[in-house]
This record gives sequence, C-alpha cells and structure tokens, in this order.
Amino acid sequence: MTEESTLKPMPSANRESDLAHEHHLKQQLPYSQRLLQLLHMSEAERALKRKVVPIHKHSAWYYAGGLTLVFFAVQLITGILLLFYYQPSAEGAHKSVEMIMKEVPFGWLIRSVHAWSANALVLSMFIHMFSTFLMKSYRTPREILWITGILLFLIMLGFGFTGYLLPWDQTAYFATKVGTEVPKALPFVGDFMASLVRGSKEVTGSTLTRLFALHVGLLPLLAIILVGAHTMMTALFGSSVPVGTRVKKEVKFIPNYVLGEAVVWLVGFGVLLTVAILYPWQLGTAYDLSNPVEPPAGIHPEWYFMFLFQTLRYVPEWVAVVGFTLVLIFWTFVPWLDKRSKHHKKSPLFTWIGIVAIAYIVGLTVLAYMSVAEEQTAARAEQNAATSPEGPGIQPAPGPAPQPAPPHAK
Amino acid sequence: MLEHIPKKRRTVLKGMLATSVAAFTAPMLYVVAKYLTFTGGSGDANAVAKMSAADLTPDAPAKYVQINGEPIIVVREADNQIRAFTATCTHLGCTVSYKPVLPGSTPPMEGFYCKCHHGKYDAAGKNIKGTPPPRPLTELSFTQDGEDLVISLKPKV
Repeated sequence: MTEESTLKPMPSANRESDLAHEHHLKQQLPYSQRLLQLLHMSEAERALKRKVVPIHKHSAWYYAGGLTLVFFAVQLITGILLLFYYQPSAEGAHKSVEMIMKEVPFGWLIRSVHAWSANALVLSMFIHMFSTFLMKSYRTPREILWITGILLFLIMLGFGFTGYLLPWDQTAYFATKVGTEVPKALPFVGDFMASLVRGSKEVTGSTLTRLFALHVGLLPLLAIILVGAHTMMTALFGSSVPVGTRVKKEVKFIPNYVLGEAVVWLVGFGVLLTVAILYPWQLGTAYDLSNPVEPPAGIHPEWYFMFLFQTLRYVPEWVAVVGFTLVLIFWTFVPWLDKRSKHHKKSPLFTWIGIVAIAYIVGLTVLAYMSVAEEQTAARAEQNAATSPEGPGIQPAPGPAPQPAPPHAK
Repeated sequence: MLEHIPKKRRTVLKGMLATSVAAFTAPMLYVVAKYLTFTGGSGDANAVAKMSAADLTPDAPAKYVQINGEPIIVVREADNQIRAFTATCTHLGCTVSYKPVLPGSTPPMEGFYCKCHHGKYDAAGKNIKGTPPPRPLTELSFTQDGEDLVISLKPKV
C-alpha cells in the first residue's frame, strides 16, 4: 500500500471519525514526509528516488552542470547581500562599493566571492556546454533541454556584461562603452539597439541604472525560471549516455550520486573561497563623468569575452556581429541539424565542429591576452621614454642622436 | 543507504554528518550576520549642528536641524528662552513638532506634539501623563555666540 492510498478517507457514515483517522495517520508519518504530502511532492520524491545515474568513462563531465548550479546559488546569495549596500547611481556606485570593501564587516569577502564566483560560473558553464556538445547529449529527447541551456548561457554572459559596469570604475566604464558600441554596427537596428542598452547617447548614469535593472531584475527572473526548467528536465530525462559508450554500472541518484556530487560541490566552493580570500577582487579608480580621462593601457573585457574582442581586431564589426549571430543560431539548432546523433549514430562531423569551436575560443583568447600584454609593455616603455631626459617626449636637441629609450624597469 | 549498518553506528555517522554541516554553516551565518548588521559606524560623537537664533521668529518659533541623521528641534519658547530637544518621539519614533498651544489643552499650554499617536510633552519636554509617550524628550546643550547657535548631542545638565 502506498502512503497516498493509506491517507484516502475510508467510506464511512461518520465523517468526523474519518478526519480523526486521517489526522492520526498523518501524525504517524515523519515530518519530512508530511511536508511532502502537503506540497503534493510525493510523486517528485518517488521519481528522484527511482532515478539512477549511468557510470561510464565520460561520466565525470556530469559534475560540470551541478557545479555551475552551485556557483549560480552563490551568485544569488552574495548578489542579494551586495544589494543591501550598493547604490546604483553614477555618483553613489563607486562610493558604495568602496564602502562595502572598506567599512562593512566582511563586505570585501562577499564582493570578492561574488566576482570570483561569476568567473567560476562562466568557466564551469563553458565546460558543461562543450562537454554536453561533444557527448551529443542534445540529441532526442533533450532538444528543449539544450535550448534552455543555450538561453542560460546567453543570460549568464548578460549577467557578466551588465555586472561589469556596476562598480563604476574606469575599466568598467570603458569596457561598457566599447561593449555598447558594437551593436551600432548592425544595419538598420544598430542605433536603436545601442540606445536601448545605454538609455542615453553616451554611457552615463542612465546606462548604469539600466544595466543594474537588467542585472538584478530581469536576468535573475529569467535565469531562475530557466534553471528550474533545465534541472527539472535533467531529473526527468536522466543523464545522457554518449552513443557507443559502455555503461559500467548505474548508481542510485539519491543518496549515492548526490553524496559524491556534494563532495565536488564542497571542493568547488572551497577553491572559490580560498581564491576569493587570497586574491580579493580589486576596485579601480572611480570614473568621473564630468572629468573625462583616456582609458588605462591594455584595457580589455573579462576573459570570457576576449575571443569576441580579438575577433573585432580582424574583421569589421558588422561581420563579427552577423557572424556570431549565425554561429549562435547554428549552435541552438544543433539537435535538429545533427541528423546522425538524432538517430543514435556516431557523429564525427559534429565532434569536429565542437573541437574547432573550442580551438577558436582558446586560440583567440590566448592571442588577445598576448596583444594586451604587448600594449601594456609598449605603454610602460612610452612612459619611461617620456620621463627620460632624451626620450621622444621632448624635442630632440641638436647634437648626437638620441639614445634609445631604456628598457622598461619594474 | 544506511540499512546494512548497525543502528548504533548509524547514529554516530548521522551525528558526524550533522556536526560537519553545522561546522560548515555556522561561519557563513556569522559572516552574513556581521555583514548585515553594519550601521555605518556609531557616527561622529562630536558632530554639531549650526543655525542662527534669528531664524526663530514669533511666526516660526521652532526649527529642525539634524546631527548624524537624528532630527533635533530648536525652539524659542513663550518665555523667549531658546531650548533644543531630540525631536524623536519616545513612543514609536515619529518626529514631534512644537505647538504654542497644544491641541485640546485646558488651560491652553505650549509644548511638543506628535501627530502619529497624539503624544504630548510639556514645554520642558516632559511627557504628559495619559498620552502615549513613556519618557521625556532629551534636552540638548548648545552654545550661543550672538545669533550663532551651535547644538551638540550632549544632554543639557
């Protein structure tokens, strides 16, 4: 007899004694069971208890999704905490972040965890996305699961972009300025898109409140709904096994797999805390709208936008924008385009597409960092030259040729 | 999962798990509690408010100033004496106002009045029995140099 059927009122003329009987039965169940009954969650609980996880040579990649979820939870909690002190205005933003860092007890830690966890989240999300791509986990019946993943990917990058401006320091200001300039390259809708994001012609306080609204209002709402759908579908469909992979064994999701995963979560969280404490996230100089300055040397966006940033050095903006849009559309509809995986056959072409995509991202990111380093070196050399008496910063005096600028000294 | 383990050992294992969870959660709760209860420091104890006694006219005998965000009422009372009080009602924290004639007072008397729950204080800031405030307003010390008033948070002695 299931728990539910024992709770059904028995046919009886005496309604009151039925209720008493039902009440008595409920009293006998443990609290956790009674709560599940109340919430009508017993079905979900039974499904989770039935769920098994296949163990095979690629199953370690399954942890990336759960880890992304942990970092997302950390972002929600630390984000809400930061909201208690943050002030979203061009005048107040930098000051309030400075206060969080210097005055509020553990404020530096909360902010440092928020910033580092954002990066950890994007990294584990990239790993999760490419591992599911290479394992072809998007194939039937998980097409919609894949699409929710793509949407979450875009939302998380949106979080990164919108959150970057909020401290209102010089790097943030110029990164946002460049980032909001890119859509202008789009034909017809460019100016519309740029002004939609900026809320004014330039990056101003209006841009800050706008990106703030997206960062703490719209994006979290969409993210929570989609994360819910994404994890619910994962629970429903179970873990996908790559075509042709031998399953060694199956372990029960609850408690065996969850406990193993909890260890990975704890390690992930531990590494995050360690990094956040040892390398507290820094705050740059405030940007003062009334006193424009030139951007700091080697200015660049966050690492996960670097491959886009580098692409813009090689091709005109509109090519990049149109190109990446097409790639994104292709990426979204891969479950339908990859016919072989759809029919549970090995699909080497799409494996290669995945590898090329990873190589492109990694390669261009490396190139981008190399040119940033070069620019910074050049800027330092220029600075040294300008301060040295015979450098090019001063009119060359008649006489012997100017000495070459000294190599930059640390 | 634990069914095959003897009951006593099971209890020990569960206890260890609960201890680990507590040891993991407690420091985080401590950090969050400390973070959330920050009140911007205790403020500057020596902060003062400045105003001119000339602003206190027969038409407008009272004026509000603030020190560290706390409202203070400075008033030229009927006897032409200037006094300063904390303006926060001791009942539930609304800001009191000065009334040359307190509403419903017989015989008519001056004093401080709180709109929120009709609290009343006399001209010396003492709470009037039968109205909600449980304690008097605190009278504050100030210095006067000609027309210049410098009010501090120190109670008048």
